[in-house]
Amino acid sequence: MLILTRRPGERVVIGDEVLVTVMGVSGHTVRLGIEAPSGVSIYREEIWLAVKEENRAAAAAAEANPLPAAPPARRPPAPPEGSAPA
Amino acid sequence: MSLTFESVRFGKVEIPAEDVIEFPNGLIGLGGRRYALIDRNPGTGFLWLHEVDDPALALPVVGPEQFFSDFALVMAEEDRERTGIEDAAIARVYVTVRATPDPMDITANLRAPLVIHEGRGYQVINTLAEAALQAPLFTLSAGSAAQPARSGDAA
Repeated sequence: MLILTRRPGERVVIGDEVLVTVMGVSGHTVRLGIEAPSGVSIYREEIWLAVKEENRAAAAAAEANPLPAAPPARRPPAPPEGSAPA
Repeated sequence: MSLTFESVRFGKVEIPAEDVIEFPNGLIGLGGRRYALIDRNPGTGFLWLHEVDDPALALPVVGPEQFFSDFALVMAEEDRERTGIEDAAIARVYVTVRATPDPMDITANLRAPLVIHEGRGYQVINTLAEAALQAPLFTLSAGSAAQPARSGDAA
């Protein structure tokens, strides 16, 4: 991994088209500004990981489990105390 | 003009060529560039988003409004720029579904919907805090009582 030290206002250039600017540093928080071509998708890593996992799970789960032909019937009802049918 | 592709699940599938949806960035972590929405479970609300060039890659999806009356999508600025879709209201929106052995456990991914507009599709991030990655598709509230009961179940 390449490790660089930058100060607020300084930038890193990735390839010819991606610019990362350190906007500011406050305690443990770093604000980054990213300029990239519109076709490049940019995600916070934790969201990207979660969606990736969910997509893969959705594709795999469909192999094993048939989709219901109708909404499932209600589970054995747990009638609310004291309520009467309308 | 029609296009025929192979599906592990459905065999040969024929669709109108104009139904192919280009996903310039693919799906997150799954890739794929050309998908089609096919209806093999009519009347259930489930569609399949099938990769045209990968016989094994298909995900069940639903239109979120059908299952989530309060569904809303607010895209981040970077997604609006990337997709050229300023407002999700002009696009068709779907959410992926994770099938489970017990249908009551099926969830939909409201966090990362698919927006489709003018033959192009994108998976975007829903910035609304309440948009769950795994939202239960079915609830125990009223509305499903008329459906076939799972009569084998003991109380």
